[in-house]
Amino acid sequence: MTGLVMTSRPVVSHETPEIGHQKPVSDGFSHTTRCTEAKASELSNLQPSLAALCNEEKTYQSAVVVYAKENIFVQPGIKCKRISGRLSLLKKAVDDVMFLAWLPYALNNTSDSATDDNKFVVISDGGPALSEASSTAESEKRDRTLYAVHPVPISDMRAVRRHTPTIGWHHIIIVLHTGLSLPPLYFTNGGVKDFLTVLKQHTCLVRSPDDPNLYLVNDIADPLQRSMTALDLLEVQNRAGWSESAGGSASLFVRGGKDDLDTPSPRDYSLGVLEHFSRVTKLARDTTAHIFGKDQGLDASTWPCEGEETLIKLNYPPQGMLAVNCADGEDEAPVLRVVQSDDDEAAPCDSDSQSRCDDGESASTSVGSFELLESERIVSSSKRIPSRAQRPFPLSVEEWCAFFEPDGRLADERGFRERAFYGGIDQNVRKEAWKYLLGYMPFNSTVAEREQIREAKKTEYDALKAQWQSISASQEKRFTKFRERRMRIDKDVVRTDRLLPFYAEEDNSNVELLRSILMTYTFYNFDLGYCQGMSDLLSPILYVMEDEVDAFWCFVGLMDVMESNFHRDQNGMHSQLQSLKKLVQLLDPQLHCYLEKMDCLNYFFCYRWVLITFKREFEYSLVLRLWEALWSKHLCEHFHLFVCAAVLQKHRRAIIHGEMEFDTLLRFINDLSGKIDLEVALYDAEMLFQYAGEAGQEVLPTSGP
Amino acid sequence: MATARKRTLLKVIILGDSGYVNKKFSNAYKATIGADFLTKEVQVDDRLITMQIWDTAGQERFQSLGVAFYRGADCCVLVYDVNTTKTFENLDNWRDEFLIQASPSDPDNFPFVVLGNKIDLEGGNNRVVSEKKAKAWCAQKGGIPYFETSAKEDYNVDQAFKCIAHNALKNEEAEDIYLPDVIDVNATATTKKASGCC
Repeated sequence: MTGLVMTSRPVVSHETPEIGHQKPVSDGFSHTTRCTEAKASELSNLQPSLAALCNEEKTYQSAVVVYAKENIFVQPGIKCKRISGRLSLLKKAVDDVMFLAWLPYALNNTSDSATDDNKFVVISDGGPALSEASSTAESEKRDRTLYAVHPVPISDMRAVRRHTPTIGWHHIIIVLHTGLSLPPLYFTNGGVKDFLTVLKQHTCLVRSPDDPNLYLVNDIADPLQRSMTALDLLEVQNRAGWSESAGGSASLFVRGGKDDLDTPSPRDYSLGVLEHFSRVTKLARDTTAHIFGKDQGLDASTWPCEGEETLIKLNYPPQGMLAVNCADGEDEAPVLRVVQSDDDEAAPCDSDSQSRCDDGESASTSVGSFELLESERIVSSSKRIPSRAQRPFPLSVEEWCAFFEPDGRLADERGFRERAFYGGIDQNVRKEAWKYLLGYMPFNSTVAEREQIREAKKTEYDALKAQWQSISASQEKRFTKFRERRMRIDKDVVRTDRLLPFYAEEDNSNVELLRSILMTYTFYNFDLGYCQGMSDLLSPILYVMEDEVDAFWCFVGLMDVMESNFHRDQNGMHSQLQSLKKLVQLLDPQLHCYLEKMDCLNYFFCYRWVLITFKREFEYSLVLRLWEALWSKHLCEHFHLFVCAAVLQKHRRAIIHGEMEFDTLLRFINDLSGKIDLEVALYDAEMLFQYAGEAGQEVLPTSGP
Repeated sequence: MATARKRTLLKVIILGDSGYVNKKFSNAYKATIGADFLTKEVQVDDRLITMQIWDTAGQERFQSLGVAFYRGADCCVLVYDVNTTKTFENLDNWRDEFLIQASPSDPDNFPFVVLGNKIDLEGGNNRVVSEKKAKAWCAQKGGIPYFETSAKEDYNVDQAFKCIAHNALKNEEAEDIYLPDVIDVNATATTKKASGCC
């Protein structure tokens, strides 16, 4: 059966005895109550279990097929067998709500009720037993399960992108308002145009002015209104827990059977993401000015006219990353397969990324620019990201004490690092904890050993300090290098954090300590000397240590890691900014293209962020919190680059639509100082970290900060 | 006849070993990391000009950043401290470095301005670089305008910036002779020839 079918035949023709609802129904009116029941049942059972899915089917029994097309296939991966199925548009008779669905044909060897090709396989999410199964048939079956597109309301659809390569199958990619996209649907014998024609008859379908192959669904002319509508939509979903439609598409992204009891359900991520959204939504409710004005550095009045990717937070990684993730094994990343349209027959969906850069059509000209809010990396990762609300309190004194063995060894280094990463450290614990984080005290040292270390380091410090203190005035006259360094340090310490009471007022002894420690450091590391920025790095350390010797050695520990930032040839800075560039390229190709177009790929606008690790970007207490999270190295040594990427991504819209050039971008970035929500940035950065996976690790610098 | 291209934004780069050019002393003042700029409105004749005044990290070590930060500059302001010989001696380095990094199309005629700063310090008793010496250097470099300022006392700073704007605009008017507003291919070819002759 091909082509257009305008009929009122029932959608679901097989029977599901478990539900006790055995009659195919074509009247379309008598099942309103059951629809509601089904919905409720799905809400209570977020996993698309067998029962829930049967309910789902029941729900759509009261619908009519306005369009159906056979032999539309999904290609799970390059080497995977394609999965054929039927694409249909359904209209619920009771309220005229339109749905789109693609359901795979049943496997011939399955024992399910559907054996006829034109019937539908019963969808189950697998469960542990299924995931253990290694037979090809089981894996194929699981693929079918994963890729099924359960009926999605048309109102959830954001856009349809048409791909009509001259060689290869024509296909479409549907992007939802949530930012999720459905797998590419390949039309084996044409018909994309017909599909769009029918869709257009039932919904508002507008061809994007920027891209003739992009069709916006339910496009409201006013971009502000459009964004708000989209936000409200999300809020509705959020209130409902995980709505039917979102749950339906989400099932694409949930691996079958990975949820054993001790790992949290991947659903947590989904909900985490929803929570993430709800924050946006709440803002939207508060005032539009808040979200579009202050928060985005834009007035509502200057809101850009092109608002297509309003809700798009992340983009699909470029193809290199797809390949990497593929190699992870078939169980790893089913969602990535969703975007793998680049098999032998079909043209890669993102192959025009270069031309996108060239003609400057940044927004949403490819499926690549749409992608999902959360990635399957996160969804499928066994690592759970605590939401902001779930983040623990700072590591308390009691907890800190509990970390130690009776002989004074810090027992659980990993646990401590993780704790510092997520919760930060209580101000009363910092003085001791930072000594470990900065490598001054070894984790396995006993109390006695630490006392010895302290004693030896005190002696060493005094000796270093005596070296420069003993330089006489006349000697100094013949010692230009020394004079220059002293001048430079003198000039900088008097303008370092002077608003903080700790360093305020004239003749502040702590400013003197800054001076002494920095001078001593130039003798400890004479080749490096003093560089602007070092006083910024030392200031919080001295503030926490309240001791010259301890602060010096902690600073040495920090500089051991960050020294290359201050090298004359700037190699450390360049390699980090290059890594940041690659990271953004990986995580947000659209932003990357924009920055490329604007000739901003040197990322010098992020120079300050990286050189002194956001020291100037946050209020003092938050700097301490950020630094201990970074020093914990809980996720990786270069997590600050993910923070950079997260903050950039948060403002991608303002940057792109503001058409910022290098100068304005630098100003914009500098002006973010004091306006970045640290916990959000940390959370987003972790999402990006999980999302980037190994591909992210590969672009990071090999050493240094 | 082409109408003059009315530009209202001028990018000005401040270089030198003496900071505090356009900022009052304050506890909130911090050393510049990377680069930053502030904007200043200046009335030049009947035009209101916005000056984008760029401050870059002072330390030589960060000079390589100039390639990015000096791009598109309209004027470069060299500042030294009249109380420190070294800062005056460094003017040559700063000027050369700027021309290398910014690589303006016409380096010989790129507008510079020199400021001798901190003339207020100790009532001028600590002064080691005389006005005469500074002016001689400026003359030798092709007649660079020279100003003595005290950023701390806000002395002569506005006059200096008006002159800076003037100079940058003068350069623009010179450009206007060769670059008509409406450019067609043939006309451009002609002007190119003409400018080549001059």
